[in-house]
Amino acid sequence: MHEIVRNEFRRYYSGLREEDLEVPDMPQREYAFLQFGGEVMIRHMKFVNPSSLKEYIVENTPAHIYHSSAYYQMPEATDMNEKGWLGADLVFDIDSDHIRTECKDRHDRWHCIECGMGGAGFPPESCPHCGMKKIDTRTWICEDCLQVAKNEVIKILDEYLIPDFGVAETDFEVFFSGHRGYHIHVRSKTFRGLSADGRREVADYVRGIGIDIRSHGFREVKSRILVGPDMKDGGWRGRVARALYEFVNRASLEDLKGIVAPGVAKNLFDNKEKFLKSIESDPPYWGSLKGYTLESLEKIAIASIKDLICNIDERVTIDSKRLIRCPNSLHGKSGLRTLRVDYSSIDDFDPLKEAVAFRHGSIRIYVKEAPRVRIGDEELGPIKDKTLEVPLALGLYLICRGAAEPR
Amino acid sequence: MSLMLTKEDLAKYPFLKQTTSYVERMQLNLGDLAAVEYSGILRKALTRIKDSIERNVRLTDLTDPESEIISYPLALALVYGSKSNWLLNRFATIEAKRVEEELRKEPRDKILEIAKSGFSWEIENANLKLEWEEFPFSIPLQSYLEVATSFNDAHWKLVNRYVKGGFVFLNSGSLTRLVSEGFKIRIIKRASERELHKFRIPEALIPYLDEILMHAQENMRFDEELPQGLVSEARPPCIVAIMEDVKFGKSLTHMARFALTTFMVNVGESVDDVLKLFGNVADFDEGKARYQIEHIAGMIGSRTKYKPPKCDVLRSFGLCIGMDEFCRNAKHPLNYYKRKLKIMSGPGGQTGARDRKE
Ligand code: SF4
Ligand SMILES: [Zn+2]
Ligand SMILES: [Zn+2]
Repeated sequence: MHEIVRNEFRRYYSGLREEDLEVPDMPQREYAFLQFGGEVMIRHMKFVNPSSLKEYIVENTPAHIYHSSAYYQMPEATDMNEKGWLGADLVFDIDSDHIRTECKDRHDRWHCIECGMGGAGFPPESCPHCGMKKIDTRTWICEDCLQVAKNEVIKILDEYLIPDFGVAETDFEVFFSGHRGYHIHVRSKTFRGLSADGRREVADYVRGIGIDIRSHGFREVKSRILVGPDMKDGGWRGRVARALYEFVNRASLEDLKGIVAPGVAKNLFDNKEKFLKSIESDPPYWGSLKGYTLESLEKIAIASIKDLICNIDERVTIDSKRLIRCPNSLHGKSGLRTLRVDYSSIDDFDPLKEAVAFRHGSIRIYVKEAPRVRIGDEELGPIKDKTLEVPLALGLYLICRGAAEPR
Repeated sequence: MSLMLTKEDLAKYPFLKQTTSYVERMQLNLGDLAAVEYSGILRKALTRIKDSIERNVRLTDLTDPESEIISYPLALALVYGSKSNWLLNRFATIEAKRVEEELRKEPRDKILEIAKSGFSWEIENANLKLEWEEFPFSIPLQSYLEVATSFNDAHWKLVNRYVKGGFVFLNSGSLTRLVSEGFKIRIIKRASERELHKFRIPEALIPYLDEILMHAQENMRFDEELPQGLVSEARPPCIVAIMEDVKFGKSLTHMARFALTTFMVNVGESVDDVLKLFGNVADFDEGKARYQIEHIAGMIGSRTKYKPPKCDVLRSFGLCIGMDEFCRNAKHPLNYYKRKLKIMSGPGGQTGARDRKE
């Protein structure tokens, strides 16, 4: 990596206030670092206070700084058993790379290492031409995908963590990762002790994995009379009920035909009013139409919850020993800050502006190739093969992304 | 609200705080229990263990509650002293089944009382009445997950529960299952505590322990031993799919590779056979692969043989591709495999359909 980036990082860290590096229960956490150009993680470090951490960072100026989601008796021990796991924050990672968005067609490319085939947009799991899974990607972010990621954060919190899991506003923190997405750290004591299996259940819950509507009260009483939950019910029970109602309400005949047998679709469509009324009744009935069964309802339910399930990287949630980015540290692949987001004003949060760490100065760079990017209020691109003078933050961003070089 | 728990209750539910303190107050010494005056208790303890070896679920013997109460810690000591995981699992399972049977007969209030006394769960009388259903109890999410993750059925998944405000709402049947499973887990977990590693049975009880171990040995043989080698027809869909990928030379994700390797090793394939299987894969490095497989097979390194991931895990990684009839009850691909094997070798099934290679 370029010395100039490292120097700027060092300058940033020297000017940082110690309290900005504060993390709850710091002495029980493991710290880890990745140096510029380094491939091996420096691990098992312990810092008892922000000032010793700052001293270390300024001296070594790493490209990435992490701390463990876990709390340990001896975070500095190299052996997991010796470390003595005491618990861990419950973490949700929302990464725009994992979410299909339309803007990806504009700024992302992929190509198959094996046969060279390639294209724009979200990468396929395996090459459509040769079937191999060695796909190389060149991905960027933009306001749109970061907005989608932000919406996911709001969904997880407002729809799941707060109402269903009872997480209080004081028990979680939201961070912009400094690059492609957001992290939610739930720190309440009640979730600290969750095992990996328990964390998996939590991840599956917000992702709607393995949902079975029979467990939520949908069943057939007598022949062809379906009963089920009330839209006012809590948890997934009420959520499925509301989603189904909304979906049927908005669905065209074609929509329904894509899900259930044409006869059933037509029947349901023609009797929509009556069907919706019976769901609203107390107690709710879920229909008694010809040809329509619990299975048809199940198919519609699965289609209707598609937008309600959360796009998280479940591996992060399941892992009870994850390393996560340290607050206010710089992301070595963007030069942006990992920034705490005030949840009450998250709607107005503009990550590409507020996470800018370098507010002054400019830099002369040679840009190989980049799509349109915005950092702070500066916009650039699409651009190819050009040398120019840009504001420092934008320049460092492009250099960190590997798209430009200092000149 | 506190109900009086009788001596009979203490005999039925060994995990209650009251039961533990009752036993402690008697200040018995394990070695003493081999003496003639306690022969009744020893006999009861041995019967409990024998029942679990033979898979007999029997209700609590209440003719003499006191000796029944004391027979439990004695039986448990013998089981721990045997150092046999097989026996430990059997014992815990059968004791949990007995508790479940007993709890089913109890009124709601008492189930609640028992659950609270037995575990440090903050269960509450929620009395939630829904349109077609009632949930009398609520339990904190994390307490629920401590136990429920060990169940197979889909309706125990958190996503299939009524979850609100940090609580999971339950009916009596579910709470009963949760309590008995919690009891089972506790028995098994304690065995791995450090102090128990050092635990030795008193001299006077050793002859009984030997007797138990012999009896266990005889029964263990009947347990389904996996055949030495893969029976293709019994493979679960997820493994079939990964093997297809391998056949076409697609490269595998780390998880897919791990699942396949552990599966093969666990059904008794040799390291060489597993290696041959990977021969097709594009990014194949034999030396590295051999090391990994031997590690997984427990031949080097930690020496524990790795098991394939549970269905839940495979599902989260997108490797679970199908729900055939066996998948429905399977929690684990090996489970699926065992069950299918059993059916295949049962009446009308194809016996010995081994898939040994040339
Ligand atoms: S349910 Fe289990 S055994 Fe069946 S395909 Fe899925 S992972 Fe495999
Ligand atoms: Zn290709
Ligand atoms: Zn975008």
